[in-house]
Amino acid sequence: MNAAGPNELRAEVFEKDLCIGCGACVSLCPYFKNYNGKTAMLFPCTQEEGRCFAYCPKVEVDLDAVSRNMYGEPYSMDPIGRYRSVMKSRAGKMVTRADFQAGGTVTALMTYALAANKIDAAVLTGRDGLLPIPAVVTEPNAVAGFASSKYTSAPTLAAFNQAVREGRRNLGLVLTPCQALALAQMRANPMKQKEFVDPVSFVAGLFCTWALDYRSLRDFLVEKTDIKKIQKFDIPPPPAGVMEVYTESGKIDIPIDEIRKRVPNSCDYCFDMTAEFTDVSVGVFEDSTAWNTLVIRTERGQAMVDGAVKDGYLEIGEMPEENLAHLKLAAGNKKKRALERGRGQGMVKTAKEGGRAAIRIDGDIAGMA
Amino acid sequence: MSYLFDEEKGARYLLMGNDAIVRGALEAGVSVASAYPGTPSSEIIENLSKASDKRNIYVEWSVNEKVALEVAFAASIAGLRSICAMKQNGVNVASDFLLHVALSGSRGGIVLVHCDDPGALSSINEGESRHFAKMIELPLLEPGDFQEALEMTRWAFELSEELGLLVMLRSVTRLSHASGNVRIGSLPGTDKTACFKYDAVPGDQASGPVVTMPVPPHHEALQRKLKKAVALFEKSPFNTYTGPEKPELLIVTCSACNLYSREAVRLLGAENRVGILKVGTTWPLPPDLIRKNLSRTDTILFVEEVLPFLEENVKILAAEMAKDIGVKTFHGKNDSTIPMTGEMTPDLVVDAIKRILKIDYAPMPETFRNKAREIAAKMAPVRDLTFCPGCPHRASFWNLHNALEIDNRRGFVCGDIGCYTLGLLPCGFSTSKTSHSMGSGIGIASGFGKLTRFGMDQPILAVCGDSTFFHAALPALVNAIHNKSDVIFVLLDNSGTAMTGFQPHPGTETDAMGGNVPPMDPAALCRSLGATVQYADPFDVDATQAILLRLMEEKGARVLIMQQMCALSPEKKGKKKYRVSVDQEKCIGDRCGCSRLCTRVFRCPGLVWDADKGAAVIDEVICAGCGVCASICPAGAIVREEAV
Amino acid sequence: MTKRTILKDPYNIIITGVGGQGNVMASRMLGSALSRKGLFVTIGETFGVSQRGGSVMSHLRVSETSAWSPQIPAGQADVVVALEPAEAVRVMAVYGNSGVKVISNTRPIYPVGVIAGDMAYPPVGKIREALLELTKDVVFVEATDEAMKMGQPILGNVIMMGALAAAGVIPFDDDDFKDVLSETIKPDRIDMNLRAFARGREMALQASRSNG
Repeated sequence: MNAAGPNELRAEVFEKDLCIGCGACVSLCPYFKNYNGKTAMLFPCTQEEGRCFAYCPKVEVDLDAVSRNMYGEPYSMDPIGRYRSVMKSRAGKMVTRADFQAGGTVTALMTYALAANKIDAAVLTGRDGLLPIPAVVTEPNAVAGFASSKYTSAPTLAAFNQAVREGRRNLGLVLTPCQALALAQMRANPMKQKEFVDPVSFVAGLFCTWALDYRSLRDFLVEKTDIKKIQKFDIPPPPAGVMEVYTESGKIDIPIDEIRKRVPNSCDYCFDMTAEFTDVSVGVFEDSTAWNTLVIRTERGQAMVDGAVKDGYLEIGEMPEENLAHLKLAAGNKKKRALERGRGQGMVKTAKEGGRAAIRIDGDIAGMA
Repeated sequence: MSYLFDEEKGARYLLMGNDAIVRGALEAGVSVASAYPGTPSSEIIENLSKASDKRNIYVEWSVNEKVALEVAFAASIAGLRSICAMKQNGVNVASDFLLHVALSGSRGGIVLVHCDDPGALSSINEGESRHFAKMIELPLLEPGDFQEALEMTRWAFELSEELGLLVMLRSVTRLSHASGNVRIGSLPGTDKTACFKYDAVPGDQASGPVVTMPVPPHHEALQRKLKKAVALFEKSPFNTYTGPEKPELLIVTCSACNLYSREAVRLLGAENRVGILKVGTTWPLPPDLIRKNLSRTDTILFVEEVLPFLEENVKILAAEMAKDIGVKTFHGKNDSTIPMTGEMTPDLVVDAIKRILKIDYAPMPETFRNKAREIAAKMAPVRDLTFCPGCPHRASFWNLHNALEIDNRRGFVCGDIGCYTLGLLPCGFSTSKTSHSMGSGIGIASGFGKLTRFGMDQPILAVCGDSTFFHAALPALVNAIHNKSDVIFVLLDNSGTAMTGFQPHPGTETDAMGGNVPPMDPAALCRSLGATVQYADPFDVDATQAILLRLMEEKGARVLIMQQMCALSPEKKGKKKYRVSVDQEKCIGDRCGCSRLCTRVFRCPGLVWDADKGAAVIDEVICAGCGVCASICPAGAIVREEAV
Repeated sequence: MTKRTILKDPYNIIITGVGGQGNVMASRMLGSALSRKGLFVTIGETFGVSQRGGSVMSHLRVSETSAWSPQIPAGQADVVVALEPAEAVRVMAVYGNSGVKVISNTRPIYPVGVIAGDMAYPPVGKIREALLELTKDVVFVEATDEAMKMGQPILGNVIMMGALAAAGVIPFDDDDFKDVLSETIKPDRIDMNLRAFARGREMALQASRSNG
């Protein structure tokens, strides 16, 4: 009913500056290209309905349908989405120490998944200077090279689409919440393609509060340092109030207010902090940078964690109640802000409401938000 | 026997207007001919170059119209007869020099042939060049048919010498490019010597230095020359009246409109009611001639192209003579009896006369007209202009368009003049967003590139062909580099002046007469100016787009030379590099994933959409074998093999 | 009084087609042939940018007395020679009348909008029917197809000239054509052109007979 095509995608997403550059619409056809963190539409297209629109996480996302397809249940009102359990975790002995953010859980899981042949290839996101560059990795040892947060939005799904075009199946992915939402829509085969097979075997999600616009950040940092030589970014927990940029010649602190100016408009409408449509989600652990928070959402995710623990790739521990409560509070705040803003601007609608929506959820949105 | 060399006086030829002008110049013993090519003027110098050897003429394609006129002028003040040809807007380019030529005067007969293009059939403007004659104070002639094109040209040289002044001779597309019967005259000898005499005092018209200072006496001399021109024009046989002694309506006309007026009067059977004054000497106007003819009747209709030049000048005289000739009713462009824009046709003159004389006339019975129009609307699909099959410009604009879209900062291309002007149309993916005079693409871009202080952050590109580069782009590029403007200058180098028929230019190895000359290298020129220069082959789409994207990240004046020879160039025509075919099994067609990118968007005439099969096919006859479509097919369905 | 050699003065011929079909060449050859007979010929042509895929039209005015306007007035065509069938239809809407003689090539050259699938090009049979609604005198000649059989598609224009000669409306025959050829083209190509011309005349005569 709400399906549409590339021209609506352009009108509803690109022209409203809602595109986050996830790459879901890229490498499916010749019309969409991602460059420097932004996706562009090269020419008008004549499809009335297209995969580009159906996959886009920023327009006509039917959260209940996505959730039913993945969990067999409608969208959960829980601030961190549907899950089986929440643990704390960190990389185990089998993982070479890399420059990970916090506990290295994602590196550990993907390394294990490749090493144990649970997946044939992993779609990961690397970095050239500030520019995130997606890549397809098949060697377990190569996974660690993609560790550490990117902060700028990345067209990871473009690399995924390309891999699928080239015939790859049994893929694992590491995705941000918006990317994971797009992938969840792709896996529902919304265009009802006869030849469709789900090529995805495992998805690890990353907690995310916002991303940064590549060009804007680059133009800002280029005045301060040689961006090709940036080694790592970090945003330490409050009250630090800075983003730390590590370079060969030392650390530069950028005031967080300068950083926030470079958050794309699109992130203001994002309701998902914890990557709710994944097998597992991973983020910071409040009390210690040596650990991660691990949300296990699916049976497949549970099996992967169990295997990784068993083979020494991952260590897990109990999640303190207080930490979980804090996580839910933070995730709930993001969700409430985004849905209220979206609702107020007519972007969040129920399934029955007319006109275009960014997100549709059945039931009492106002009450939930 | 070619009309260029025929010595038999009175021999009859079917000649294009431009050829009649050529023959007139040959009969006048022209020694030097120069021009910058521009439709509809190009054939004049092209055909004179064929007579270069036998008729002992120096012929050159000059770098631009101003220099062309300077070259012709040198011959004049060295005592030779010379001709310079250009299209309407070329006069604008030459006009600064023209102003000074009027003031300094000339010696050997010098004729500037300027061909206007009413209706802009081959132009991007409908410029009226006759006003230069009035503004700069030069005599202006306008041939009214093919025979006159010859005779008037021949006479223009004599007139120029008699006045010591350059003579302007104005043609229009429908005269220059139309053909009619012409009787030729005789050819003079070809033995000429040139010498520039400067020993007398300045101001000595025959043998002093040729200067314009002191200005007031030179200006007074110029006006004396124009008065003399008026006296000569009063007696000129090129001003004719045909019709009854006292017509109800007097048509005052000139140039090709003379033929339209005659046609219209005949069609309406109004030969006994309408008289036609055809004026051949349109500036300065001879007042006695005008007085005599305006006295014939009180209703006057002006028929001319483009602006009401004759109309307004006659009206000034009529106002001055009102006491003698009485009050007249004038019809023409100013009262909208004749359209102010577009080219004239016999039908428009019919319309005007019909309304003034209240004659009932329909060119077609209404039922026929309606049926014919309805059928045409249904059965004659519009033919959009497009680049030729295998044209490098299609690939170049594809790359420019895609790189700009991918870059995603609302960058754009400033267009220029040549085949690639079509870059503003769908065949060029509507990539060019400005289109003005020769060389103005880079000039405008140079200005855009300085607007960063006002927050303008769009990437700015300018395109220009290799001939246009030398014509007028070079000073603008110098300006951009000197002023540190952030622009990318893309030189679309297709090795020739393709638009007007492959005339040589400073970057080619031959001159107008077929002699060898050292070609100039635009890249070396740009580098010496301080620009970075890169090359790309537009047929290599991925590499070209990557270079463009990288250039757009850089600052300052950047030059990219896209090199690929014109598909029509004599060296390339008919030789296919690739044999191209479509694997119809692989073709995605109009489904999601392609949506007919090749036939719907890329639109090379060699690619045809076969709706029945739901796939693209190659038209073997039309395909030029460039192979670019194989690079853009998302399914790898278009296959190219090296042709043997 | 000279003997009248043309049916009407001026006699108006339109040769229409698409850039690259040899339209200008055809009108020049025909014009030269008629001019050699002492007739006044005026030709109006469209050059330049219109050749980049656009329609190209030549107007020939043939007269015993004088030059005429290089543009034929609306509704005043006497013969339309179409090197491309849809162009015949286009010309009829402006210059046609119920007495026009139309001689058309059968081979379409599709506009870029048609090959791109944005517009439709009618079947040639439908074009013929439509033209017959406007005038009784319509002859279709498979000129390009025949020229391709002769190995040179560009000879289509010469075949159409032969077809025009067959109509007998202007004083233009094999010998006239031969005289012009000898002045305008290389000697080794004359024979091929003469054969194309003769073939065109034959085909047009056949076509008229089967029409009749």
